[in-house]
Amino acid sequence: METELTLNHFLFVSGLLFAIGLAGVLLRRNLIVIFMCLELMLSAANLSLVAFSRFNTTDGVPNYDGQVLLFFIITVAAAEVAVGLAIIVALFRSRETTDVSDVTSMKG
Amino acid sequence: MPVYYLEIIVVVLGLVMLMADAFVKLEDKRNIAWFAVLVLSVVFLLLFKVSWPESTEGSPFWKFYDAEKGSRGFSLFFKGIAVLTTIIVLIMSAEFRGVLLKYTAKPEDGAHPQSGLSEFFTLPVFACAGLMWMASANNLASIFVSLEAVTITFYILVAYMRRNVGSLEAGVKYLILGALSTGFLVYGFTWLFGVTGTMDLAGIKEQLALDSVNVTAALFAFALIIVALGFKVGAAPFQNWIPDVYQGAPTPITAFLSVASKAAGFIVLLRISGCFFGSGDLSEKVGAVFVVLAILTLLFGNLAALPQTNFKRLLAYSSIAHAGFLLMALASPITLVADGKEPPLLDTSIGVIAFYLGAYLLMTLLAFLVMTAVRNQQEDDSLEGYAGLAKRSPFLAFSLLVSMASLAGVPLTAGFFGKFFVFKLAIQNGACGWLIAAGVIGAAAGFYYYFKVIASMFWNAPAEGNDGPIPVSMPAKVVMVLLIIAIFAVGIVPNLILGLIK
Amino acid sequence: MHDVNTLAWIILLLPLLVAASILFGLKKMPGLSALLSTGSVLITLVCSILLFSATGKAVPVTWISIFEFKVNIGLLVGGDKDPLAKGMMFIVTFIGTLVHIFSLGYMKDDDGKARYFAGLSIFMFSMTGIVLADNLVMMFIFWELVGVSSYILIGHWYNKDSAADAAKKAFLTNRIGDFGFMIGILLVWVLTKQIEFAKFTPEIVANAAKSPLFDIAIIAIFCGAIGKSAQVPLHVWLPDAMEGPTPVSALIHAATMVAAGVFMLARVSALIGASELAATVILWTGAITALVAALMALQQNDIKRILAYSTLSQLGYMVMAQGIAGQGADAGMFHLYTHAFFKALLFLGAGAIIFGCHHEQNIWKMGGLRKKMPFTFWTFAIGTAALIAVPGTSGFFSKEGILHAAHAAGHDFPWVIGLIVAFLTPFYMTRLFIVTFLGKSRTENADHAKEVPQIMFVPLVILAVLALFSAYKPIAKFLQAKGYAHAPEIDPTFGWSLFGLIAGVGLAIWIYKGREKERINIPLFANKFYIDEIYNGLIAIFQDAIAGLLDFIDRFVIDPVVARFPAMTAFTAGSFFRLFQVGNLQGYTFLFGAGVVALIWFLLF
Repeated sequence: METELTLNHFLFVSGLLFAIGLAGVLLRRNLIVIFMCLELMLSAANLSLVAFSRFNTTDGVPNYDGQVLLFFIITVAAAEVAVGLAIIVALFRSRETTDVSDVTSMKG
Repeated sequence: MPVYYLEIIVVVLGLVMLMADAFVKLEDKRNIAWFAVLVLSVVFLLLFKVSWPESTEGSPFWKFYDAEKGSRGFSLFFKGIAVLTTIIVLIMSAEFRGVLLKYTAKPEDGAHPQSGLSEFFTLPVFACAGLMWMASANNLASIFVSLEAVTITFYILVAYMRRNVGSLEAGVKYLILGALSTGFLVYGFTWLFGVTGTMDLAGIKEQLALDSVNVTAALFAFALIIVALGFKVGAAPFQNWIPDVYQGAPTPITAFLSVASKAAGFIVLLRISGCFFGSGDLSEKVGAVFVVLAILTLLFGNLAALPQTNFKRLLAYSSIAHAGFLLMALASPITLVADGKEPPLLDTSIGVIAFYLGAYLLMTLLAFLVMTAVRNQQEDDSLEGYAGLAKRSPFLAFSLLVSMASLAGVPLTAGFFGKFFVFKLAIQNGACGWLIAAGVIGAAAGFYYYFKVIASMFWNAPAEGNDGPIPVSMPAKVVMVLLIIAIFAVGIVPNLILGLIK
Repeated sequence: MHDVNTLAWIILLLPLLVAASILFGLKKMPGLSALLSTGSVLITLVCSILLFSATGKAVPVTWISIFEFKVNIGLLVGGDKDPLAKGMMFIVTFIGTLVHIFSLGYMKDDDGKARYFAGLSIFMFSMTGIVLADNLVMMFIFWELVGVSSYILIGHWYNKDSAADAAKKAFLTNRIGDFGFMIGILLVWVLTKQIEFAKFTPEIVANAAKSPLFDIAIIAIFCGAIGKSAQVPLHVWLPDAMEGPTPVSALIHAATMVAAGVFMLARVSALIGASELAATVILWTGAITALVAALMALQQNDIKRILAYSTLSQLGYMVMAQGIAGQGADAGMFHLYTHAFFKALLFLGAGAIIFGCHHEQNIWKMGGLRKKMPFTFWTFAIGTAALIAVPGTSGFFSKEGILHAAHAAGHDFPWVIGLIVAFLTPFYMTRLFIVTFLGKSRTENADHAKEVPQIMFVPLVILAVLALFSAYKPIAKFLQAKGYAHAPEIDPTFGWSLFGLIAGVGLAIWIYKGREKERINIPLFANKFYIDEIYNGLIAIFQDAIAGLLDFIDRFVIDPVVARFPAMTAFTAGSFFRLFQVGNLQGYTFLFGAGVVALIWFLLF
């Protein structure tokens, strides 16, 4: 049985990805994994952007504005990862841990 | 000169600074900072000289860069805040170099004794360019890119002292929470694009005002965006990162975060929420959200500041508290005058917020300048370290006195009129009683914890070991004197700042 | 340059500029500071003379505008119909100039010379502000600034306990009056919705006067004048203020600042006219002050204190005149002008005497100064003649004006009091004159007295000329004063006051001629009706009672209910909030997520 893919299908998958990413950030303790989950959230946004762009047509032409933002997001995410990993590495060098529950010296 | 040249100049300045570090032999790397201060001062003056295009039709560039007549003054004002803050932060950084070098590198044989310093001067310049762009961003894409340009630069700067436990921890916390908020921001943008089919803020406003708009989806998008922007400005319940990150970051960067980053966050918040205030259904809910956020932020920032014992952390909570007052202004939405005329500046949220931020810049940077000078002499930023400051350095004690009095809102200082205009706006627009009550409680608590600092400076004896005099370098001294004069000048003639906006 | 706006702003801001530059830069160069300060006041004098013929209007600057409450920094110079500010401005800058010049000699070797001249400049700035203010709020601000500068100047020799105490007393006493003034301004604003003098039109005032609060408002405003112009019962600070340097006494405590109260009453005369009760209160306060102060002056031995009490008494006249309103108010302002000249002359003369006698102030330790200081003698004589209202001198015309107005308005009793004072004044001034200048030198200091340096002559001569002739047409017209000299009417007022003059002078000559020490002793007058002692006693009693009451309230009401409980609540709440800052990243992300959920729930459901 074949059903046509609608906007809602894409949004559902994107929402699922976002939720998985968020759950990972909330529940995992390893900084690297948390960071990966954050990237997953950005990918969820990318997916829905493409979907919105594809289904939002004028005269049969998709609205490419959304896809412009998508490329910016990919680029920015790359920059974020570069900086983020460097910081995590620096943390690992000085503390020999990447567990979030070990970085709690400031509170209150 | 076209207005966007300013951002270009600042970016080129950053590149030149990097090149200079690599290719020019410098005895003292502070010269790079002085050079940047000089160029940025010129940029600041150029702000008064820029021109705008006659017509923006047809040019794709202006889809990303705001040129609306009504908001030009504000764009330039916020650009001015960014440039001014960067200048003062650079001067502060030069003052802070001793502490910084101690925690960055162990110089190897043959390496420059100040290696690693020039990047610390260069990154704020890049952040400045991002902040300036943010002040003019009027498209979801340009908002996102400029916001991230600033945020990623701050990740590096916060974690810059990589041999210092606090700085690194602050960096990690800022990184994870910042990236989380970015995730919400783009997801919100996505939905906003999905609801309205456009990236343009003007187009979004038009679409949202239509009856056919999907209100639920629009509110969902708004919620996600508010989460991210609330994070940037430090609104409760998304303020968690502020105390830890402020405490751990190098002091000049804390100052930068608390002034420029907050100002930029507020202008984006104003622009995006402005789209939602256009339509009846939405604006009611959106206004209610700001009221709740403002109440929470006011109470959290001010009350949690009461038991603090670390001065830097105290200022972090104070920064949350001031975000509360700014949100209070935002929560009292614009009442349009009946005959369609432009309302007076101080009857609009944006006018009051601009004034408040201008005043906040003066007093906060003054406090951080004092903190930088004191930090050079002792290891931590605890409040005990400030006991008896009046005996150790009367000048610093007086500066901090002025700054604290202004932050608390004592009449005849700039801070008084900031708070005053916020309350006036709230009362005028019939804001809800709980909001005003929270504001009053916050202001009262503020008096307590700011005066705690003053009392300790003037009435307590210096702590054992921390009782030597404190030297202040000439540039820092000059800046402090200018800031003190500005605080009083604005406190007596508030029109000074309002005049700049026009 | 002939533009009111430019001139007025120059007059206002120049002294401020000078004071700031002395305080922030020139402290170490007293000579230059003194010259700068004197130069600036000279320029303001020229400006205020030009002001008489200037045209145009001063442009107000909006300072603050909240709801309907709008305050300008406005300068009210007024046209031909309202010459109040122009005349007063001339008096202030003119006396100011002379006092500056006199001070160049008097304070030559003082350690705090730069500080002294900075203080004078701040005073000139504040006083100018009062004169030019176009609304009550601006006037109040400068009113307070005048209080501050007078505090600084009275306490110039702050190492002397008596000077520091006098400064404090002046400040606190004025504060009581100023509190009333502030309440009065608020009430007037509430009743009329106006604070600008020009806006107190007859309709608005008549409308406001319907309210029973109106009388209270005007009396409260009058409290400000009671404090600043040292009327009974707040007069106690002025005699003590003589601890300051003598030129300061001449400028502030004789000619200008104390006259500010009278000036303010003239400014709001439109309001006073609408409140009969307030006018009566003002009338009687003035009359009583004139009498009481003259009685106290009879038995004083300190030359400056005698002059201080005579100032009080003359201020009483002026205030009384403001209470008469109409013609009386004009006469009061006129007396203010003439009094400024001759009282400044007398004070500077007293300064010269004190300077010449090596800082001796007791008149019984002087004597025989006529030959030693002939120049001072003659100028002082002219000043005295004007003060005791010898016919033909300026003081005569202005005082007659007030007494005439009182008589004409049917205020018989105050009129009688005025005549009694017109007898007492010649008596105590003749006493002062005889004891100081005539007879033999009674102490070494007086024996070795020398004439003062020549720079101090200049002001004395100029003032002496004005003390004699300022009531005559050309000068009075130049000042745009409304009540200048007229041929004396032969009526009861003239007759009685002439009789009082002759009787007073004659009696004093009979009693004091050739005497070595005081012949009559009236402890009640010598001790100033024991008012200071009564106040001290009252303060002590009230302090104890109030302290006890406050202690009770503090301990059993305020502390637990008002202070402890909210403070505890706030601290507890704060500590509770701090618990959210767990320091653990995962805790933060969790709270962040909870916030997101709450926000979405709030928005969508």
